[in-house]
Amino acid sequence: MWQQLRNRFGVPLTMAIVALLGIWLIVMVLLPQWQMIDYSFHPSLLPAERGGEKDVWSLTNYATFFNNDIHLAIFFKTIWSSVLVTLLTLIVSYPLAYYLAKVATPGQAALCLLLLIIPFWINEILRTFAWYIIFAFRGPLNELLFALGLIDRPIRFLNGDIGVLVGMVYAYILFMVFPLYNAIESLDSNQIRAARDLGAGWGRTHRRIVIPHAKPGIATGCIMTFMLAAGSYAVPALLGSPGSRWFTQIIYNWFFEGGDWNQGAAYAFLLLVLCIVFVTVIMRIFKVGLGDIAK
Amino acid sequence: MDGRVSLRQVAMRFGDFTAIQPTSLEIESGEFFSFLGPSGCGKTTLLNMISGFLTPSEGSVTIGGTDMTRVPVNRRPTAMIFQNLALFPLMSVYQNIEFGLEVRGIDRQARRRRADELLELVALAGSGDKPVADLSGGQKQRIAIARALAVEPRVLLLDEPLSALDLKLRQHMRTELKAIQRKTGITFIYITHDQGEALTMSDRVAVMSEGRIRQVADPMTLYRQPKTDFVANFVGENNRFPGRVVSREAGMVTLDVGLPAPLAGHSTDPLEPGDEATLYVRPEQWRVGPADDRRLPLSGVIRTEHFEGAWLTLEIALEHGPTIRAHVPHAAAGKSLEGQFAVGSVCRLDYSPNQAVVLAGAEAGQPSEEAIDVAATA
Repeated sequence: MWQQLRNRFGVPLTMAIVALLGIWLIVMVLLPQWQMIDYSFHPSLLPAERGGEKDVWSLTNYATFFNNDIHLAIFFKTIWSSVLVTLLTLIVSYPLAYYLAKVATPGQAALCLLLLIIPFWINEILRTFAWYIIFAFRGPLNELLFALGLIDRPIRFLNGDIGVLVGMVYAYILFMVFPLYNAIESLDSNQIRAARDLGAGWGRTHRRIVIPHAKPGIATGCIMTFMLAAGSYAVPALLGSPGSRWFTQIIYNWFFEGGDWNQGAAYAFLLLVLCIVFVTVIMRIFKVGLGDIAK
Repeated sequence: MDGRVSLRQVAMRFGDFTAIQPTSLEIESGEFFSFLGPSGCGKTTLLNMISGFLTPSEGSVTIGGTDMTRVPVNRRPTAMIFQNLALFPLMSVYQNIEFGLEVRGIDRQARRRRADELLELVALAGSGDKPVADLSGGQKQRIAIARALAVEPRVLLLDEPLSALDLKLRQHMRTELKAIQRKTGITFIYITHDQGEALTMSDRVAVMSEGRIRQVADPMTLYRQPKTDFVANFVGENNRFPGRVVSREAGMVTLDVGLPAPLAGHSTDPLEPGDEATLYVRPEQWRVGPADDRRLPLSGVIRTEHFEGAWLTLEIALEHGPTIRAHVPHAAAGKSLEGQFAVGSVCRLDYSPNQAVVLAGAEAGQPSEEAIDVAATA
């Protein structure tokens, strides 16, 4: 690779590129991560005590987590809810991506994409607030359902998980739609036509032809959505309730309310491990490599 | 198995654009029928209406006596071979062939038996477990045929399936397709812009241009008895001589085409003296002789000479007339060494009026690459 770069850019520029890459990797990625991990294995101490005899490596911070039933429950709930968000987003995005890639005329597809993207010009917090207003006890959604005669008393959407799920599906839909769209778009339309021509209904055509082809896109979309969902803070903070707390909120609390950075670092590291495990599992299930996802 | 296909006044419009003018056509069961025409003539649209990918704007499509106009593509007794074959790349050869059977809920063993039979038919027995990507172009072609035949269609639709193959393989596959058609007795409907394919394989050919069928006939008739200017120019090569009718006697018509003497040809069109008409003489119908051969009535100067293997192609500027193309057999061409057919030399020539066709009208139809409009070069 060094050879290739040198032939292309010359020695000084190549050195500069490699140096910048190295600095970025070390300063922005590796050092902070290492610092985090290092924090997580030390007790929280007053500045005066640091480096003293109390400053030893220990697993206390992790033990705290595994001994706290509530935190454990929230951790697993976060995993489960993120999986649910991922599945819901996939179910919503797949027909949309298929329509954009194979059914819509170029004009319709451009219009649709524009309509999808415009809301994302607005800050995530504000968008989430919009849902907060829609879901409010006396908000427009309840009014509408009431006017249609579907309910006879308002529903507390913001009380449980519904608000969080909907908010997240909405917040991350683009991260699912685009990989899916790219994957489906690259499928030769004659494959779909051939399957239809051989007698396959729409269900079978998707199951046997479109979805297998779109697998790398599905994997990419699921991984991105899951990571964003599991690491989300704004959506559960705004649309959730104390009963639907997210693991990120616990981490936040340790850092900024408990003031215990070491404890928070341990929790954050656990979330990181969880995400890595999830990515690995998904890659196994879909039998895709890192290269497929990077595309 | 009834594989008749009837089109009754079918038309296809996309907005303001009419892809197919109202068309009626009967295709017999077990026939090898081709649609021949340049790209954009509507032949693929017609095929898509038979397969069910398109619903006609007007008219009806009947297959085997049953109205199929509104039946969706997956419920029609047709199977299609796509131009790019559209084999399923993530599946093995077996899975490809068995796909249509699996859809029909046929059990695994029966499917495998049928797939093996078909692999036998297309001379690829034993390659069922291979991934599709490992096959050569010709093998992929055969698998596409096997996959389409697996569902036992009444009508097999072929959308220029040979266009991706090299010349030798293409010629070989023509023979093979024809053999498979005879063996299975299925109606084959073949789309092509390659007249060689249409003429060699088909029982009947429909020549199309601008969304219309210009002529339906067996290949021999199409070549010998074109009915329109477009067909005369598109199928094979032709030299056009537009002019006016001088006289008519039985089937023979004599035309003044601007040459010193009038030229004759046979015609089935109702022509009267004074009518505009065009005479067509095919390049191989010319008899070219030396300058001193007084039995040959026309005279001209050889402009170019191309060696084509079995024959020589000469471009000859007729005296007081246009430039024509003539194919001279190789045996006679041997004399070119003695300078007889050398560029610049004078020759005399003749044709047989019995083989030449006269059609009404002197307007050129839609020109094609193969057409040589002698009026334009004159």
